[in-house]
Amino acid sequence: MRDLVHKSVKTLQKQNIKQVEAFFTQTQTMEVTIRNSETLAQNKLDDCGVGFRVEIAGNKVGFASTNNLNEKAVLKTGEKALAIAKVSSKVPDFALPEAKRLPKVKGLFDSRIAELRVKEAVDVASRVINAAEGVDKRVIAKDGRVVFESGCRGIVNTLGVDFEERETRAFMYLAGSGEQKGEVTGSCYDYVFSRAVDLEPEKVGENVGTMVTEMFKPKTVKSFQGTVIFGPEAVSYQLVDVLVDAFKGENIVAGRSAWTRKLGEKVASENLTITDNALLEGGFASRSFDDESCPSRNTTLLRNGRLEGFLHDATTANALKTRNTGNASRFPGGFGMTRMIVGNGYRAKPEVYPSNMLIQPGDETREEILSETKRGVLIESMAGFPQAGSGIISAQLSRAFFVQNGEIKHSIKGGMISGVAFDWFKQISAVGNDSKQFQNSVVPSIRVEGAKIVGV
Amino acid sequence: MSQADLVQLRAQKRVTTTCTVKNGVVEDFSVISLNGVGARVLVDTKSWGFNSTNRLDLRSVQDALETAIKFAKASSKLKRHKIVLEPIKEVVAEASSPVKKPVQNLSTEDIVSIPLDAYEGARETGSQVADAKATYISIEDDKYFLSSEGSRIHQDTTRVLLFVDVMAKSNGLICPASENLGHTGGMELFDKIAPRVLGKKAGEKAVRLLKAKAPPSGKFRVVIDPALCATLLHEAIGHPLEADLAMSGGGFGNQTGKLVSSKLVTIYDNGRVRGGLGYFPYDDEGVECKRTVLIENGVLRSFMHDRTSAAVARVSPTGNAHAWDYSVEPLIRQTNIGIEPGNYSLEEMVEDVDEGLFLEGTFGGQADANADFTFGFQNARRIKNGRLAEELRGANVAGNAIEVFKTIDAVGKDAVLRPGACGKYQFAVQGRVVPAVRCEIMVGGTGGS
Repeated sequence: MRDLVHKSVKTLQKQNIKQVEAFFTQTQTMEVTIRNSETLAQNKLDDCGVGFRVEIAGNKVGFASTNNLNEKAVLKTGEKALAIAKVSSKVPDFALPEAKRLPKVKGLFDSRIAELRVKEAVDVASRVINAAEGVDKRVIAKDGRVVFESGCRGIVNTLGVDFEERETRAFMYLAGSGEQKGEVTGSCYDYVFSRAVDLEPEKVGENVGTMVTEMFKPKTVKSFQGTVIFGPEAVSYQLVDVLVDAFKGENIVAGRSAWTRKLGEKVASENLTITDNALLEGGFASRSFDDESCPSRNTTLLRNGRLEGFLHDATTANALKTRNTGNASRFPGGFGMTRMIVGNGYRAKPEVYPSNMLIQPGDETREEILSETKRGVLIESMAGFPQAGSGIISAQLSRAFFVQNGEIKHSIKGGMISGVAFDWFKQISAVGNDSKQFQNSVVPSIRVEGAKIVGV
Repeated sequence: MSQADLVQLRAQKRVTTTCTVKNGVVEDFSVISLNGVGARVLVDTKSWGFNSTNRLDLRSVQDALETAIKFAKASSKLKRHKIVLEPIKEVVAEASSPVKKPVQNLSTEDIVSIPLDAYEGARETGSQVADAKATYISIEDDKYFLSSEGSRIHQDTTRVLLFVDVMAKSNGLICPASENLGHTGGMELFDKIAPRVLGKKAGEKAVRLLKAKAPPSGKFRVVIDPALCATLLHEAIGHPLEADLAMSGGGFGNQTGKLVSSKLVTIYDNGRVRGGLGYFPYDDEGVECKRTVLIENGVLRSFMHDRTSAAVARVSPTGNAHAWDYSVEPLIRQTNIGIEPGNYSLEEMVEDVDEGLFLEGTFGGQADANADFTFGFQNARRIKNGRLAEELRGANVAGNAIEVFKTIDAVGKDAVLRPGACGKYQFAVQGRVVPAVRCEIMVGGTGGS
């Protein structure tokens, strides 16, 4: 494919263009799905393709992509990107990275994943089911997925970039619930995001099984304002979403971020230090270059509550005349409709997104954080979407517990948490040492004072 | 191929065009051309395997089939239950979605003008519009389905969508609002509402909400407008009625024939609603899509099935097996889910409420298999003594669908066809045919009780 990509870039260069970039991926995905205590199906997905960004005079940019890899179709796709550039409007400050030396990042490729046989993947799925249901006979392994992916990602551009990187990923999740005398618990999830082959199915299964047994006999709570402990999963989802929105370079350029023009200011509690680290060894989103070829780095975003930086790609860094942080991503999370329709990788243009966003862990164990809590709520998982920009979260408590005098008293039925995440960041009274890797974040538990729980 | 009990091949060509105008700039204009084949097999009357490839030559397709068989066999020894599918009669069909104004006739300039007009409509609503984005998307699909049962189905479908997202800002307060349109068909989508009008609607809402207070929190008697009802129906009732989720315990499982909702409620799923974003004559297992009554006058009648879940439940499949594209296996999905209209006008629904809320617009949501749900509304009006009072900003609502649907005491008389989308493992576009309803629900506002 690389030869074909080079050839197309050369052909486009002969035309009246300023820059051309070709991004390509080749992936083989093996997946075992789990449904109702059994493996449901084994799937293999083979995909490769290329996407072209063409810039012409006047900062006009077009994009087109295809997975039809015959020479004629690939050339036609490059031409299509050029035709689109001609009708596009000026993208102020558009830039592509120049060729630079890349850092060495360890733990991105595990040959055992590339060579894995389907029977071994089925075995992992069976082990996670058995481990979960072995905890207690009321537990049902409802739904899950074991995924092994291997492939490569490459970029060629007219500024001399010609990079390619092999990578593997392994991912597993299991959702369990429990049934007892007609009472059915809500779903309990556990996830593993890894670059290496071992997904520790026994550990994940036992976690899910234990979570399910803790969910029986939930009670309602009355509305109150007080201590709330967010577990890593709850942090990774809505709280990280609000942070991503606040740190995104394009939101700073447009003035949309709540933290626009606040660089150097104290915007959160002393306890909060956040970095974006694409160099993290074995990190799920680690890489030696971002999805438009900028070398990876470790960027401090927030140090002890003080705002130190934002996430940038070549264009947003150029707009603000600041350093590119290497955060162009063609595999972003979130729920953007266009992204969901179009898909990831070669199919789409990059956007600014974190690699591994790390909340620096504190010294306290989960038990210590709980033991200091007189009366509060522990939220392990919550459902819903935060409101973009404003940081407003009104989430349903899907796995939450009432805590009194340092002890978990019971699981909570119904109830919501409601407030503004930016206020909560200022009210953090403790950060746990229990960090967990998610798709684009590595985060611990966080305790917030003065948050509002909506009860029944 | 005697190694497999059933072979299904799905070949597809898809061209997706997206054009986003953000703050006056054509920020993202892309054309994505994909093609490929998905091979799916059932072996040993027990186990499914699937392999997709973007290589379309005969050899690659044969390889994909062989891999699918190998993958299927990898777990058949572990399977406890047989999957004895209800046989399907050979279907030979050509089905095209009706299109009055084809998207193929558009020049690149024509395409740009659609989101640009919508953006300008939003921008016109005032200087407080801090951010406005409009996205046009067309999806052209050409799909072939072949099976070892003899079926040969060709489906040709075009879908067009337009979304507008606006953010108004004043004194540090940020108010988002959005509007969307979408159907299966061509550019006639904009005959009823022009892009500029849609943009204006979203802009006006965002600016208006800057003056509104935050909504309260607690349990309220509410009237829910069709846009929000569409999300409630999809998340709270639709998902728990998908057989794969229902069979995993909780929610509506084992409730067939029982009263599960208010008697005023009749709910169906229908892949043949003309213009619905979930318009599918046949599903991705070659089963004809039709109208399936799910809940009739409050009584649970049926779940949405694929062939496997139908075999387990010993019923006929309902045409709900859909894959987002050739590269992924079909799953049980809603097509166009609907609530039969009732007898109430909006005024009549409001006039019986002493103290409550009228909730409008949607920001999407989530649901669990046990029917717990949460989703966002864009704006609200307080209801006081049977009349609509002050306007309020958006927040989320939450609850358990079975409990909430038992509290429905009025259904509106006008059902509206709305576009929808869903991200259950894979993406899907769907339709919803919904009236307003009145019920009790928990609101998670930030403005006190």
